[in-house]
Amino acid sequence: MDLVKLQRQLVDYKASLYHECVLDEQFTQLQQLQDENNPDFVVEVVSLFFEDSERLLNELTKALEQQSIDFKRVDAHVHQLKGSSSSIGAQRVQKSCIAFRNYCEEQNVEGCLACLQQVRLEYSLVKTKLEYMFQLEQQILSSGGSIPI
Amino acid sequence: MAEKSFETTSQACCSTSSESSPILALPMDTPLRKVLSRISGFASSWGKKTVTAPRGRRIFHRDVEQDEFQNGSAHCLSSYYSVFVARLAIMVMLAILIGLLTVLTWHFTRVYTTKSLNTLAYGLRYELLQRPILRMWNVLNSTSEITTAQVKLSEYVIKRYSKPTNQAELIELYQMMKDITWALFASHKALNAITINYRNGFVQAFHRDHRSNNTFYIYSDLANYSISDTQSSQQGWNDQFIHGNESAIWYRQPLDPVTGEKQGKPSQIPPEDLINIAGPSQVPDGVASWHVAVSKYTDSPLLSAALPVRDASNRSIVAIVGVTTALYSVGQLMKELVEVHGGYIYLTSQEGYLLATSTNTPLLNNTANGPKLMMATNSEDRVIQMGAQWLQKTYGNKFPPGHVVHVEKANLGGQHYYIDSFFLNLKRLPMVGVIIIPRKYIMGKVDERALKTLVILISASVCILVIGCVCILILTNGVSKEMKLRAELISHLDARRRAEASSNYKSQFLANMSHELRTPMAAVIGLLDILICDDCLTNEQYAMVTQIRKCSTALLRLLNNILDLSKVESGKLVLEEAEFDLGRELEGLVDMFSVQCINHNVETVLDLSDDIPKVVRGDSARVVQVFANLISNSIKFTTSGHIILRGWCENPIVSGDSGKLSPDQKNPLSALKTKLKQHGNHMKKASKKDNKMILWFEVDDTGCGIDPSKWESVFESFEQADPSTTRTHGGTGLGLCIVRTLVNKMGGEIKVVKKNGQGTLMRLFLLLSTPADGIEQQRRIDFAKHGVAVILALHGSMGRLIMSKWLSKNGVPTLEASEWNELTQILHELFHARTTNSGFDTHYSLAKPLRSKVQTLQDMKNPVYIIVVDLGLLDLSTDIWKEQLNFLDKFSGQVKFAWMLNHDTSNAIKMELRRKGHILMVNKPLYKAKMLHILEAVVKESYVEPQNGSPNGTKGTSKQGDSHECLEIDSSQFETCSSDDSDISEMTGANSASSVGVGEQLKEGTVLKSGPPTLRNCLVEFTRLGLEVNNLRTEEDQCNGRPKLHDTKDVKCENPDSSEQPSVRSNAKDRDNSYTTNKAANEQKTLEGLRILLAEDTPVLQRVATIMLEKMGAVVVAVGDGVQAVEALNCDLDGDENRTNRLQTEICDSPPYDLILMDCQMPMMDGYEATKAIRKSEERTGWHIPIVALTAHAMSSDKEKCLQVGMDAYLTKPIDYKLMVSTILSLTKRSP
Repeated sequence: MDLVKLQRQLVDYKASLYHECVLDEQFTQLQQLQDENNPDFVVEVVSLFFEDSERLLNELTKALEQQSIDFKRVDAHVHQLKGSSSSIGAQRVQKSCIAFRNYCEEQNVEGCLACLQQVRLEYSLVKTKLEYMFQLEQQILSSGGSIPI
Repeated sequence: MAEKSFETTSQACCSTSSESSPILALPMDTPLRKVLSRISGFASSWGKKTVTAPRGRRIFHRDVEQDEFQNGSAHCLSSYYSVFVARLAIMVMLAILIGLLTVLTWHFTRVYTTKSLNTLAYGLRYELLQRPILRMWNVLNSTSEITTAQVKLSEYVIKRYSKPTNQAELIELYQMMKDITWALFASHKALNAITINYRNGFVQAFHRDHRSNNTFYIYSDLANYSISDTQSSQQGWNDQFIHGNESAIWYRQPLDPVTGEKQGKPSQIPPEDLINIAGPSQVPDGVASWHVAVSKYTDSPLLSAALPVRDASNRSIVAIVGVTTALYSVGQLMKELVEVHGGYIYLTSQEGYLLATSTNTPLLNNTANGPKLMMATNSEDRVIQMGAQWLQKTYGNKFPPGHVVHVEKANLGGQHYYIDSFFLNLKRLPMVGVIIIPRKYIMGKVDERALKTLVILISASVCILVIGCVCILILTNGVSKEMKLRAELISHLDARRRAEASSNYKSQFLANMSHELRTPMAAVIGLLDILICDDCLTNEQYAMVTQIRKCSTALLRLLNNILDLSKVESGKLVLEEAEFDLGRELEGLVDMFSVQCINHNVETVLDLSDDIPKVVRGDSARVVQVFANLISNSIKFTTSGHIILRGWCENPIVSGDSGKLSPDQKNPLSALKTKLKQHGNHMKKASKKDNKMILWFEVDDTGCGIDPSKWESVFESFEQADPSTTRTHGGTGLGLCIVRTLVNKMGGEIKVVKKNGQGTLMRLFLLLSTPADGIEQQRRIDFAKHGVAVILALHGSMGRLIMSKWLSKNGVPTLEASEWNELTQILHELFHARTTNSGFDTHYSLAKPLRSKVQTLQDMKNPVYIIVVDLGLLDLSTDIWKEQLNFLDKFSGQVKFAWMLNHDTSNAIKMELRRKGHILMVNKPLYKAKMLHILEAVVKESYVEPQNGSPNGTKGTSKQGDSHECLEIDSSQFETCSSDDSDISEMTGANSASSVGVGEQLKEGTVLKSGPPTLRNCLVEFTRLGLEVNNLRTEEDQCNGRPKLHDTKDVKCENPDSSEQPSVRSNAKDRDNSYTTNKAANEQKTLEGLRILLAEDTPVLQRVATIMLEKMGAVVVAVGDGVQAVEALNCDLDGDENRTNRLQTEICDSPPYDLILMDCQMPMMDGYEATKAIRKSEERTGWHIPIVALTAHAMSSDKEKCLQVGMDAYLTKPIDYKLMVSTILSLTKRSP
């Protein structure tokens, strides 16, 4: 009974993630890619995303702290972040990245800083949400259930 | 003069512009050139002003044809100015000519006349002056002659009386001398006096006083003289002796002037009354002398000459003879001359003393010491005085040699005079003659006339100039008008060209925009199609997506319309010539629209006559477009009733046939036909050769109709019959315009025709050619032979009517029923009547005509009844339909049922029908082809049945006794089979096809959803596969579970073998490795064996893409940036090359990778650079590895850039799984 409840919770949680636009169908595709050959594919990719994003965010912070900001560099970083976030379906991060890039093109430091903040926020949101989701999945798996699609 | 005045006027008119003209700063030689330069400067500055104005305007227009226009305007302006300049030039030339003429005339009349006159005047003056001088000369000569004669005579007398010794001798001598002298004196009247002054002081003189006309003999007293004295006083003989000899007494004795007789007593005279006596002082050196003297007895100066008389030995002077002549006669002559000729003449001595004048003024000054000679400058005559003064002033004492002066214009006291002087060089008495003639005496008239002539000349030339200018203006006015007209024409042409260009730009812009918009629209629709197939959509989402799909289709249609219109307008629309099945196209069209119509409660009927050729040549897409537009237009305005698409062939043989089909339209049609005859006639010759046919069509609806006044204008673009239609029905009014242009393009015509009853009737004909091999004979089973009878139980009355007419024409008896009760009645009548149970009869009494029909049917021997039942006849709203079905089942042994399904008929009903063994199911609407198939199927079945099973599966009807099998005739099936390629690839066709497809998908979808999960899964994959292979072929792939048995298909959903077939068809290349495997696995390993190089820097994406590709069986090598990608490729290339070198025989023609996925933005080397490098290195090998760009820039410019650097395709992040697979497949198929 507990398992069913957990499963239900997971389904609802996922639905809420999609509903809140935290994730999009790209994530669904990712999940579809996961099979017996790559049992931990989603987790693997998402953790890759976390690593990459944290690195990029740090780089961005550094780059924006400098006196003369190399907007080209910032733009490249944001572009990367946008690519990777879109690949896992972190929609909101991706959207913030788009705004970020616009400010980059305008060379608007204020906007960039605000956007960095925004991206960071979205990123941490996605991170906590996904981590919670993985946690749920782990729980389900550990209690012997299968993860509902 | 004329030039000058012209110059001033032109300067005045140019003065305003001259400041602005910089050319004027240049120095100019002549005033004329200045004028010309000013004019040109003026013209150019004016030109500049006017030229720059339109240029400024044109900046707004941004005209591409600017240059052309500029040339045109420049030309126009230059022509305008050339007229202006030409006029001016002609005027200036005229002015110059006239001025020259005037000057020349003036010169010839004035200068030459003056010159000749002057010459004449000179001669006259010379002559005038010469005469008094000659007279003077004469006077002098005569004086000298007389003097000489006197001297000679005196010498002779004195010689005879030489050495007088006594007084008597002396007196005798003096008497002798007196007589001789008198003789001389008397013979010369002009002489004034002759004096003889002897050595001894005795003086004898004769004197003639001209004033008193007296002649005197004057002598001195002899008493004091002695002969001896003569000797002694020789030394003191001088003038003083004579005058100073106080002691001498002078006597004067008057004489008779003629005879010389003494007339009175000699009287003593005082010394002051003495006349001039020539003394030794006048001959100081003993030679003759001249001098001018004055005497108180005459007014005029006297000329006196003196000569000495010598003695015999010629040693000494014994006496001095003096002759005095008055110059009075010279003055007289001058007066006479002047009286004739006018003017003034005077003679002066060299010193300037007046000798003679032509006036009466005195020549002598009366002073206290007696008269003195007067200087010419002191003359009392004013003119002479002024003349002399002028001469003196001008020349002073330095007279030119010879004293000859000729002055033509001497201003004396305000008047002009000629002054000429001559010099008369006499020994000891040089004289100067001066003549002064007033100019006006000679030239007066000439000068006056010259002035008048000049005035006349100037006024005449001015007049001519003015007239000439006016003439030029008048003459050039025509030219300039023409020029102006031309300029205007040019500007109009320019304006027109510009307007055309702008309209061109507009349509170009529209076309471009439509084209650009179409691409994303196609993508949107494709994606929506994919989305619709998605199984995880909720119902609301599904509805919404469907709505979006519809809207997108509408938008795309609008874009297509605009594109078509602009294509036609720009003349770029080229109709293709290909054979196509006209009937099938139209059937497909009607199928498509019927779906739409059923919602509207409108019946769509296709009524093609049998003579329409099956295959025609033409542009199928455009023909379909014409009818699609017409039908959609009709649907828009038809809320209830029917829409009929009629078609027949204009052929004299079968024209009666068509008339039968549409009897009520016969009359207006014939009128149209006759009208067509004229141009049909000459067309016929051509059509004979080309096998052209005139196909007539009508689209007949029962809509709101069009006002007759708008019948023509509805075919204009953006024109709608009623402005309110946009509000109520939407649309842009482009559809009919496109229809007309297309129809015209196909050599046809379209018009709205009057119609009986409500609605609109559009009639058109098309000129289409049929294939040269002739109309193929239609395969037709003689249904009458088989004894087939049809009961049409259909809702739509129009379709039913037309169908039954057609059937009975083909010898198939028909019965009609429009509702359930009617059907049951007929059935009862047919079957229960025979089975004696006639209790119903009272209940279900049929109408008379129907009953007779029923009876004819009953008369048929062993008939095969076919009942075509509209599913709509059943009561589907409740469960009654099952009862009704059961009721019909009772007759299943005797009749064959063919069911007309709606497009939205629920699957449960279909399943139920299939379960009950009703395998003949067609979608609405019913038309001939469908009917034929039903009949054929039934007839065949009826043949097969007695044989107990079919010999092979191709007929495939009753072999499978399974209740799940069904024979479904779907005309859209063979339609797509026949012409799906052209249809679907063409966007307009794609709309219809895909919309039908959507309907079918929906249908399938419902089947699948209700089916068992395994089946569902496999079919989902199935669907997906179809989409992957070709998004647009969804429909076909949906249906490809049915084998292509020319018109019937088997669907065996559970049978894995049948589902094998699509994959075989769609992925022929996978055939070898995927036959045995599971279908799902087969689908997933679509990329089996492909080697893919992935260049991606983002680790997340790299990972995701790798997994995606690997899941599909591809071998993926992932690299982090462009440099690595190039390196990976190059080392493999090199390796390959080495291998090739080693093994000559081995043909190594496969690149190391089948495909490269390239991220565009990467560190070190981005995707573009990498692609360039790869393409460069490929040149050596001749390979072409497909490179697919991966980019997050979702802009078309990036796509351009990607394709430009040599990439083959373009995918956007996030990677769409399906899109990626389809892209990869399409690219790798090319390179095996």
